[in-house]
Amino acid sequence: MSRPADDPAVPVARLLRWYPRTWRDRYGAEFAELLLSDLEERPRSAARTLDVMRGGVLARFSSAGLCGFPLRSGGATQGADAADSHVTASLISLGCCAAVFLSFGAAMWSQLTIAWQWSGTAGATSVTDVATIATTAAMPVLLVLAILAALPVLFTVAKSLVSRHAKGLRLPSAVLAAAATIVVVGGRHFENGWPGTGGHGGLIPGGLAAFEWATSLSVSSYWGHPGVLASFPAAEVAWMAVSPFALAAAVISAAIVVRRTELSRRILLFETRLAVAACAVMVVFLAGCCCWVATEGQTVFGQPSLFHAGFIDVAGMATLTLALAVAQQAARTARRGLRLARS
Amino acid sequence: MAALAGFGRYAGPATLILSSLADGPKHGYALTKDVEGFAGIRLAPGTLYEALARLESQGLIEALEAEDRRRPYRLTAPGATALRAHLDAQRRVTDVGLRRLAVNWATVNWNNV
Repeated sequence: MSRPADDPAVPVARLLRWYPRTWRDRYGAEFAELLLSDLEERPRSAARTLDVMRGGVLARFSSAGLCGFPLRSGGATQGADAADSHVTASLISLGCCAAVFLSFGAAMWSQLTIAWQWSGTAGATSVTDVATIATTAAMPVLLVLAILAALPVLFTVAKSLVSRHAKGLRLPSAVLAAAATIVVVGGRHFENGWPGTGGHGGLIPGGLAAFEWATSLSVSSYWGHPGVLASFPAAEVAWMAVSPFALAAAVISAAIVVRRTELSRRILLFETRLAVAACAVMVVFLAGCCCWVATEGQTVFGQPSLFHAGFIDVAGMATLTLALAVAQQAARTARRGLRLARS
Repeated sequence: MAALAGFGRYAGPATLILSSLADGPKHGYALTKDVEGFAGIRLAPGTLYEALARLESQGLIEALEAEDRRRPYRLTAPGATALRAHLDAQRRVTDVGLRRLAVNWATVNWNNV
């Protein structure tokens, strides 16, 4: 049976939807009562709607560990445990941002390395050299930090799975394993088509660059040129279409696994320290990309050089900047949460 | 003062809520009406619950058993201490401001300003 149009419960339910589920579980009923009373006094108020929308968005950011404070009770826990959950949420957000950064960064870095291999120094400037070296130095460090961050989580998850205390962990773990397998197998297969030469004076780790090139093939301006895309091998186009979904499935399932795993305070502290280090390395990587895009945006002698930065690179850099900004905010919130948990 | 210092722009609503709860437990709507009565400020629902959640997370207020769907909140001992410290600091600022106005602006006819 549908509610009448003038039923005040309708706008209240609509306003409540701005808030995340965890917040509604804790405050939803009493907040709805307050809204009903307010609606009786002021049936229409744009200021109230805007205030609730702002509060809801902030509550969502807080629930993602990007700002605010841990919620008490409401299905969650009290005091220090709630603070730990908030830190975990921050680290999950940071992990997702790092994954986006790595994906788009890999596309940009592999492009730089390919151009560097093929052009030698012709058409390139010293700024491009600096950009290539900075990104080449930063990328392996980021990957090492990612592996270090994953190890204690994987160990905790494996322990839970073995001890049969893995409620809600099996399915996301299986999806994560399957998605990671697709990315690795696909990446290893398509890296054979890498147009780089395997190492510029030994500076570029050719195998890594080839693998990252293959896994980031989907970040391409060829999507805007269907005619060119049609000349690609069908398997490569299929990989370009499938790989982003595999990457997204891996990241989302990893986020679910971490959220459902009770990580110890020591692990949270370790992960937060790695997160801060990762943010610093991302700044170096982004600085390298900025140098390249800013100085090589034009053509060389009227002809586009191999280093020419196109729209896809500017869009990629904007994505990297946004991912870094959100990651840094998450790292700040995680550090503050840890201080709160220890106090 | 220290407990409310971290509230930033929410220190205003937090002070109003704590001052209201100093008079006894109240639920959201009663808080709104009380604050409107003594401060002339109507706390919007989103702002009120943002401040309530912050105060509760810091242990400055605590939720009581819900009555129907309305849940009253009461001031805790740390909340009372924080409110006293905050109001003392505000009073010092108020006293200094009023004293300086009295000395340097005593001749101004405020009705004509």
